[in-house]
Formats: sequence, C-alpha cells, structure tokens
Amino acid sequence: MTVKRQVIERESLGHWLRRHENHVLHGLLMLLCLVMLFPILYTFITSLRPQGFGLSRELFHPDGLYLGHYERLLSQPRFLRNILNSGINSVGGALLTTFVTACAGYAFARLRFVGRSSLLIFILAMMMLPGITSLIPLFKIASDLDIRDTYFVMIVVYGTYGIPFGIWVMKGFYETIPRELEEAAAVDGANPVQTFLYVIVPISLPGLIAVFLTNFVFNWNDFLTALILLSSTDMKTATVGLFDFQSQLEGNNSELLNAASILIMIPGLLIFLAARRSFLRGMVEGAVKG
Amino acid sequence: MLSHRLYKIFPYVLIAPAMLLVLLVSLYPTLYSFYLAFHRNRRGVLEYVGTRNFEVIVNSDAFWNSLRLTAVFGIFFVGLVMLFGFLLALVFNRNLQGGGIYMTIIFIPWMLSEIVAGVMWRWMFLPQLGVLQNALSPLLGDITFLATGSGALGVVIGATLWRSLAFAMLLLLAGLQTVPKELSEAGMIDGANRWQVFWRITWPLMLPTTQITFVFLTIQAVNAVGMFLSITQGGPGTATDVLSLQMYREAIEFFNFGYGAALSVVMFVINAVLAFVYISTLRAQHAFD
Repeated sequence: MTVKRQVIERESLGHWLRRHENHVLHGLLMLLCLVMLFPILYTFITSLRPQGFGLSRELFHPDGLYLGHYERLLSQPRFLRNILNSGINSVGGALLTTFVTACAGYAFARLRFVGRSSLLIFILAMMMLPGITSLIPLFKIASDLDIRDTYFVMIVVYGTYGIPFGIWVMKGFYETIPRELEEAAAVDGANPVQTFLYVIVPISLPGLIAVFLTNFVFNWNDFLTALILLSSTDMKTATVGLFDFQSQLEGNNSELLNAASILIMIPGLLIFLAARRSFLRGMVEGAVKG
Repeated sequence: MLSHRLYKIFPYVLIAPAMLLVLLVSLYPTLYSFYLAFHRNRRGVLEYVGTRNFEVIVNSDAFWNSLRLTAVFGIFFVGLVMLFGFLLALVFNRNLQGGGIYMTIIFIPWMLSEIVAGVMWRWMFLPQLGVLQNALSPLLGDITFLATGSGALGVVIGATLWRSLAFAMLLLLAGLQTVPKELSEAGMIDGANRWQVFWRITWPLMLPTTQITFVFLTIQAVNAVGMFLSITQGGPGTATDVLSLQMYREAIEFFNFGYGAALSVVMFVINAVLAFVYISTLRAQHAFD
C-alpha cells in the first residue's frame, strides 16, 4: 500500500514540474538575474551613503540619499582628466580598428589572393595570444622609444588589439551582402576600388558602427594595458585612476570609491544596453564562426 | 591594363594597414620577449645571460607555486563556468518569452572593467564591513575570506565566474542553435526520451563548439591577471600569486625584464599549445574557407 502511494506522489510531483516547467524556469532565471545584479546594486547603494556608513545596519542614512560623493568626483579635476583620457584613447583606438578592419575584412570576405587563408589564420592566432605575453616587451619598447604616457601609444595599441575581432565581424558582415551588387557595379564599369568605396562601404555602416562601439567599450574597460603603459597622473585613464583610488580609499572611504566605480561603469553599460543586439551577435562571430 | 593590375594589388592594399599593426604591436613584441628572456637588465643596459633566467625559474619555488595556483584557478573557473554556462544555454535554447531581457541582464557583468568588478567584489568581501563576508563567514566556520589563501582564491574564482558566465553561455548557445530542431523532434517521434535525445543527438553535434568554448576559457584562465590585481594582488602572502601576476610584478614593478620575459615565454608556450588546439578545431569545421 505505502509503496504504491509513494509512486503516485512522485509521479504527480513530476507532472506538476512538467506542467509548470516554464514558470519554474522563469523563476530560476529571475533569481539568477538578481544574483548577477547584486554586486552592482550593492555598490550603487553604498555610493549613496555618507563616508564611514558601511558599519551601520541601516540601508541608507536617515537624512536620505547622499549625493556628496558624486558631486565631489564630478568637480575633481583629476577624476575628470582621467575620464577625458579614457575617452580620447577609447575613441581613437576604436576608430583605428574600424578603419583597418573595414578594409581587411572586405579582402578576406570577397577577394581572391595568394595567402588569403594563411594570413587569416595568422591573424586569428594573434588573437589567441592575448596581450599579456606581449605586454612586458611592449613596456620596454615604449620606454626605449620614449612614447609611454602618450595618447599615440594607447591608440595604436588599442587599435591593434581590436583587429582580429574586428576582421572576424566585418568579414561576416560583408559575406551577407549579395554578390549581385558588386557584379552590377562591375557591369557599370566600376573597378574594384570604386566598387568597395562607393557600393560596399556605404551599405556596411551598421557593421562598422558595431565594430566601433564594441571596441570602444573594450578600450574603455581596459585596465591592464593602461596600467603598464601609463604612469603620469595627467595621462592615466579612469580605470588606472580607480586602481590608485582603491589603494588609497578602501576601508576608510569605500563609499567614495564605490561612487567612482559606478561613474566609470556607466558609459560602457549604456552603449551595451543601446546596442546589445549587435554586441551579442558580434561576440559570437568573434569567437565561434556563427 | 591598369584595372587588371589594380585587381591584383588591391587585396594587399586593403589588408596592409591591419597586417602592419599586427606585426608591429603583436608579433614583434612577442618575438622580442624571446630575446629579452636571454638577457638581464643591469642599470638600464641589457646583458646576455644565456639560459640563466630559465634556470632560475625552474629552480624557484615561487614559479611552481604560481603554476599550481594557475592550474587550480583554471580547473575551478573553467569547470564551473562550463557547467553553469551549459545549463543556462539549454534554458535559453527553449526560447522562453522575455528571454532577451534575462540575457541582457546576465551580460551586464561582462561589460564592466576588471577593476570596476574588482572594487565591487572586494567591497562585498572586505573584512568586518563586507556584506558577503558577514553573511557567508558564519556558514563556513568564521573565515575572513580575503585573509585566507583558499578564501581569497575563491573570491577571485567567484568574481571571474560572475563576469564570464554570460559569455560562455552565449558561445554554447550558438552551438546549440546549429543543431537542427527537426533532428531532435525526429528522435522524440522515434520514442527517445529527452535525456537520450540530448546525449545521442544534441551533444555530439555541438561537441566542436563545446571544445572551442573550453579552449577559449582555458586561455582566459591562464592569462587572467586583471581580476587578481584588482582583488588580491597575489595575497594573502603568495596564496593567489598566479603566473601572470608574478610576471607582471617582476617586470613592471622590479624592472626585471629578463626574468619577466622568460616567464612570458613560458606562458607563450602554454598559450601557443592552446591556440593550436583552438585553430585546428576551427579548421576541422572549415571556418577558413
């Protein structure tokens, strides 16, 4: 008797799960989202409390939200300078990447030439050898050439780091353009250069924007390269500034430190939210040919 | 014939800027690190020392400690991120309503700088003040996470998992979506249950993507330095002093270019092996045609 009843109960639980499967999955996903957002939300809440409030058990100060940390940061010349440096390096690097990969991607997608496949593999292999193994020699080379602490070196290095990814994305984009367009241009007497400049580039704007935005965010978030190549206070980017800030403030004014990390997070986050579709697609194409 | 010659040169003109940059900024420094690895820095002058840097590395306890830590970190990080990434990819593959919103939210940590993530995670685990330090410590026998070797490594693993989960999931999901729905439906009609359909049809078909994701994450794990720098800086003591961190410190902080470069050659070899696996996997899928 008891055995039979157990079997019935287990079946009905299984049934219940199967019937409400989607609800269960939605519930689990919401829980996961909460877990993923928790560090950010907690940091944000902390940034709205006055200094030293970390010890308190209450969520916020009785007087309400405290905006003093944000006011202080946004009126501090050094912090603003760091943000400006990040902006210049990120935009410059992303523009460089976009330009060179718009060209190279087309050659790899559509043109036949000797060495095409091996050059493509070479570039991919470079992507697989991440920055870190070349950073020490890069530091030495930049020191020897006396170009550390310049926008130039940051833009060139960022511009290069984005190349393998950019070529992959642009190549994928060009491959979706129907060949008839190029054939029609050729029939009209356009040479390959004209076809590329006047037919292909204008309709590739969405791909170019995707490459630019993705690389902008990568450059904005870069921490290690900037840490190694920049040492003067005037040239440091926001991420390196935050690293210095971390060692100075942690424990005694974590609230201010958290406000700084929230401000630095915002540009990348907004761009991602605005262009998430092309971000996600680009990342899949960049790693696994989709 | 101008246009004929143009047609021949044009592809090379198009790839020249990209190639030049990759050669100068990626390839040349990598080769230069091999040169540096056989020299040492003496008051700013490079001095040839043969293989001595490598001998020092092989004989130093710090190196073996770092290698072991890198392996431990890699095994936990890759294992966990693959497991959770796979489960999540299976969920997203069902095309739930509102799936796009969940995916966007789960992706947000990947869009944060390592140092921003580091500030957040350190703050949650700061001794006495951290919210997770205070919440989790009683469950795990009153440990102070950042002051304990395994605790600090655990925090870095947690933070890296948090940052990379969505990315791994996305790659695996892309693999899952290459499996035609008709195949699994046909399997169901033939009387297979879901478990059988997964192991007999879905899993073998997406194995190549799984391999690529695995290699990709392993490379990420071997080279992870940003999260260690921003969370533990190798501490407490040398308990989280992974290979990449040791290399960074030797070269950049102590100007020990030769030793640092020798370490980066060792890492280069590890990476090259992984890259080789990655590229041959892609090649087997005709990604370069």
